[in-house]
Amino acid sequence: MDLFVSAVIQGVLLGGLFAIIGVGLSLVFGIMGLTNIAHGDIMILASFFIMVFSVQMGINLFVALAITIVVMVVIGAAMQKFLINRVITKGAEPALLVTFGISIIIQNILTLIFNADSRIIKGPFSDVNVVSTNWVSISAEYLMNCLVAVGVIIALSLVMKKTYLGRSIRAASSNVTAAEFMGVNTLKTYVYAMCIAVVTSCVAGLLVGQTFVFYPYSGTQYLIIAFGVVVIGGMGSIVGTLLGGLILGVSQLLGALFFGNGYMILIGYIVMLVLLTFRPRGLLSNMARK
Amino acid sequence: MEDKTLRKEKNPLKNIIILVIVAFFASLTLWGNAYFINLLTLLFLYLSLAQMWNLLAGYSGLVSLGQQIFVGLGGYCLAIMTEKYHQGLALSLVVAVAVCVAFAFVISFPIFKMRGVYFTIGTWIVAEALMIFFANWSFANYNIGYNIRMGYTFSPNIIYLMAYIIGIGSVALVFFLLRTKTGLALMSMRDNESAAEVRGVKLYGTKLRIFLLTAGYTGLTGAVLYLNMVYLTPDSAFTINWTVSMVFMVIIGGMGTIEGGIIGAVVYVIIQQYLYNFPGISMIILGAAAIAIILFLPKGIMGTLHSRYGWELFSVRRGLQNKGASVTSLKDILMK
Amino acid sequence: MKLEGLDVFYGDFQALYGVSMEIPKGKIVSIIGANGSGKSTLLNTIMGVNRPKAGTIDFEGKDITRLRTSDIVALGVTISPEGSSVFEDMSIEENLLMGAYLPDPRKRRQENLARVYELFPVLKEKEQQLATFLSGGQRQMLAIARAIMSEPKLLICDEISLGLAPVVVKDIYRKIREINEMGVTILLVEQEVKRSLQSSDFSYVMVKGRVVMQGLSAALPETEVKDAYLGINKYA
Repeated sequence: MDLFVSAVIQGVLLGGLFAIIGVGLSLVFGIMGLTNIAHGDIMILASFFIMVFSVQMGINLFVALAITIVVMVVIGAAMQKFLINRVITKGAEPALLVTFGISIIIQNILTLIFNADSRIIKGPFSDVNVVSTNWVSISAEYLMNCLVAVGVIIALSLVMKKTYLGRSIRAASSNVTAAEFMGVNTLKTYVYAMCIAVVTSCVAGLLVGQTFVFYPYSGTQYLIIAFGVVVIGGMGSIVGTLLGGLILGVSQLLGALFFGNGYMILIGYIVMLVLLTFRPRGLLSNMARK
Repeated sequence: MEDKTLRKEKNPLKNIIILVIVAFFASLTLWGNAYFINLLTLLFLYLSLAQMWNLLAGYSGLVSLGQQIFVGLGGYCLAIMTEKYHQGLALSLVVAVAVCVAFAFVISFPIFKMRGVYFTIGTWIVAEALMIFFANWSFANYNIGYNIRMGYTFSPNIIYLMAYIIGIGSVALVFFLLRTKTGLALMSMRDNESAAEVRGVKLYGTKLRIFLLTAGYTGLTGAVLYLNMVYLTPDSAFTINWTVSMVFMVIIGGMGTIEGGIIGAVVYVIIQQYLYNFPGISMIILGAAAIAIILFLPKGIMGTLHSRYGWELFSVRRGLQNKGASVTSLKDILMK
Repeated sequence: MKLEGLDVFYGDFQALYGVSMEIPKGKIVSIIGANGSGKSTLLNTIMGVNRPKAGTIDFEGKDITRLRTSDIVALGVTISPEGSSVFEDMSIEENLLMGAYLPDPRKRRQENLARVYELFPVLKEKEQQLATFLSGGQRQMLAIARAIMSEPKLLICDEISLGLAPVVVKDIYRKIREINEMGVTILLVEQEVKRSLQSSDFSYVMVKGRVVMQGLSAALPETEVKDAYLGINKYA
């Protein structure tokens, strides 16, 4: 029982982290119908940048994050403007395959520079427990991850609701032609949306890099987690990612509890496949659609 | 009926060219050197992978990123049948095909409920799940995988012949399949799914048959690939890199054309060999090349040649494209 | 605005044949035509959604033929599109604010908001509701109000009376007149002959992608326009 409660709590906290991993993918899918296969790799690329700036160059962690965000936004904007925007109107496949190519390039450039060694970003919260009793312990790191993630997601949904940038993104995802009739250059809007997604990925990259070891090839694994989050929460629904992350996090840790650590990720995948089968548009789809 | 269609081909020269090419590669076992034989073994096996992915994605619209499922299962069947049960090659290959088809059938129930990108990612998740499952499965020797010692007992020439048969076979299979009723159904389905449905093309059944067929053939190819490589682990067997190579071959060559798969396989294997000493860079170049092709030659090398010069070797497209609109003429094309 | 010799194709099919028109500043001009007469194609071409194969579109001395839709809108050409093109999952207020997306109208969005609420009080009542809950007539009003929010120089109204009750239509036309009196040029696109002629200064009649008749609305005989419109006799 103790273990069960502990697993659920850890799962909920992990769920917050999963949500921020998925939120960028959801945003990009919602606005331009693009399944960004490079989503996980972009996050891991951010992890590596933060690692280089903070661990190797000794810059303050938050400054390192800020520099990384600037660099990554430039990369993301260029990727969207010069590659994805050129094929985005030709249906889902070409754009998906372009991001597939970007994914391969990022993974292999990282491998070339950093080899296949495991890395971690050492943060201020490693190895500290907030709550530590006989039957349950909560690590400061997991708690911090969850709080930051929820904070970022709430901020993002406020931006989407209250600002002209957010409204124009929502307008473009609702009706491209009508948005253009308002004077919105939808292609530019796509670039902005990608930049916002990249910023969330940078934050996610910091959190993931502090919590787990990562490799140049880790992006694939996180892409699938992001996809799971989005599938469960509903493509394009920002708040839905919180629910998706929660379900995925709890089911992974319960899976680990009942079947052993080796099966933790497997259980997550199976939950995803089952949900994909029975609710192919996401758990919240009915509500989200109106 | 297929024979008739072939014999009545308007241009006999093409058939002669094809025959000469086929005979040339068969004769290589008599005079080719070891390096060349080895290269061509890879070429034919990758050709088969490309043809199958093309059939699935290019012709049937099932863009799967999970075909490594069947490469891996095929390899594992070979490994387990020969290493664990000490069976012969023939039986092992039969088992490999059977297991792949059966597994494809089972996963088709959930997978076929997913549409578009959901299908794409769903297949990938299945592959990743299998990778983890095999790494934790005592029956499959956990993470350690297998040394397939049977691979050493065959001479490179024999393995080359197997690869050759599989490669040529994959081209022939796709070619003839596209000339059957199923092929026509596929074409009209790809061009306009809802219209095809109205015309009574049984989408689900057709797609399922193609999915099972490509699963079995990819599994067979995977088994022979691992017979050649003699070592497999869950990580290598179920890696997305298998599908990466399939996608690149088909995109570079041209989606939805048989020749595209051939050109793609040749380009891919050459690039792989040429950049063998820079393993990381070769993937980066492949990725960049694929993006460039999608941006600048969206129909691939073959598709561009075809639309610019009308050049093609396997004319399954010409008759079919005219027929997009009506089904009454189905028979006419087949009898032409 | 001046259109000259527009030819538009969809693949091999030619939808417009050398269409030329003039829409003088401050006037109300109507285009009358049945379904398939090429009206919608023409509007899409003006708005940069379709590209003409030949011909030019000129707005206030500037060639806008090849501009991107959003850039055309930025010059002051706004359309109130046909049917339900409101942003369904946004509230009425958010829809209207989207209308004031461009930098200049954005500065004056609060005044403009008050102005359109005055024109369409029903929108004010439902301000915070999602647009998806509106009736057909209310959507139409929202689309027009949203277009006004952008402070257009030229407002194009695409079939605003389609499927609406006569009382509502009458109401909407009165509003259009008011908008015009504020100095906005109006281009009405309609199927209804009588109302078009009554509420415009100048009219064009389109049949099968061609302009077959044009003139001062008051001077055009209704019966003849109807014949042309229906494709009876010489105009077909």
